[in-house]
Amino acid sequence: MFPWPKFNEWRLYMPEQRKKMKCSECGVEMNYHADKLDFAAGLEDPNAIDPDFGGIVEECHACRECGKTVTRRVT
Amino acid sequence: MNHSRPIFIPVILGTPRQGRLSEHVANFMVDEVAKRGGVETELIDVRKVLLATDNAGQDIKDSQFSGTVNRADALILVAPEYNHGYPGLLKHLLDTNLKEYIHKAVGICGVSAGPFGGTRVIENLLPVLRELGLVCIFWDGNFSTVQKTFDGSGKLLEQAYIRRLDKFLKELTWMAKVLRNGRENVSLA
Repeated sequence: MFPWPKFNEWRLYMPEQRKKMKCSECGVEMNYHADKLDFAAGLEDPNAIDPDFGGIVEECHACRECGKTVTRRVT
Repeated sequence: MNHSRPIFIPVILGTPRQGRLSEHVANFMVDEVAKRGGVETELIDVRKVLLATDNAGQDIKDSQFSGTVNRADALILVAPEYNHGYPGLLKHLLDTNLKEYIHKAVGICGVSAGPFGGTRVIENLLPVLRELGLVCIFWDGNFSTVQKTFDGSGKLLEQAYIRRLDKFLKELTWMAKVLRNGRENVSLA
């Protein structure tokens, strides 16, 4: 049976509760502005595929100061 | 948002073909973008980005091209229409990046020797650009009978293009600013 999260555990599954990214150039907190599904990346790392989407979901973050963009895997 | 940072809009010349007339269009676009205050540009020539042809996708990413796209707020694609489609090398180049494009604006200049100004190459590019995460503007550059639009040295002969491309660039710059603000300040959550 699906291990139903207990009270307050839901926040662990919410992206906004994950640690904020900091820009490696400026040190300022970055803005999380998009999720992108990467199907090709899943070919190299099948274990990382999110079964609900059929690919690897990546968060996109942008720096408010210098505009640098970075991504990190959700799955 | 850091307002002192200029908007950066590189122009991608999407064909390596010898004798390409799209080069005149790309140079014209670089000049027109460079005239605008607060906007920087540079030309990216597919001929000069040396990519492997025995592989494809992000495995063959060119670090300089990726760095330029990462810094960009918008892109201008100059794409000739070859057999109603886009040049293969342009697609090969675009496919080498993915995350670098997310929530950035793109405008397309179609180029053709015939009367339709690359409308078919533009339509064929739209689903590709959408999947890459780019946001397409609703103005296009349509360079019809390009052999008559520029002289042999690349000088523009048909001045109406200046007004037409002014509309295109105003829309693209607006979208670039809005999307930069969105990327940097508007949270997805």
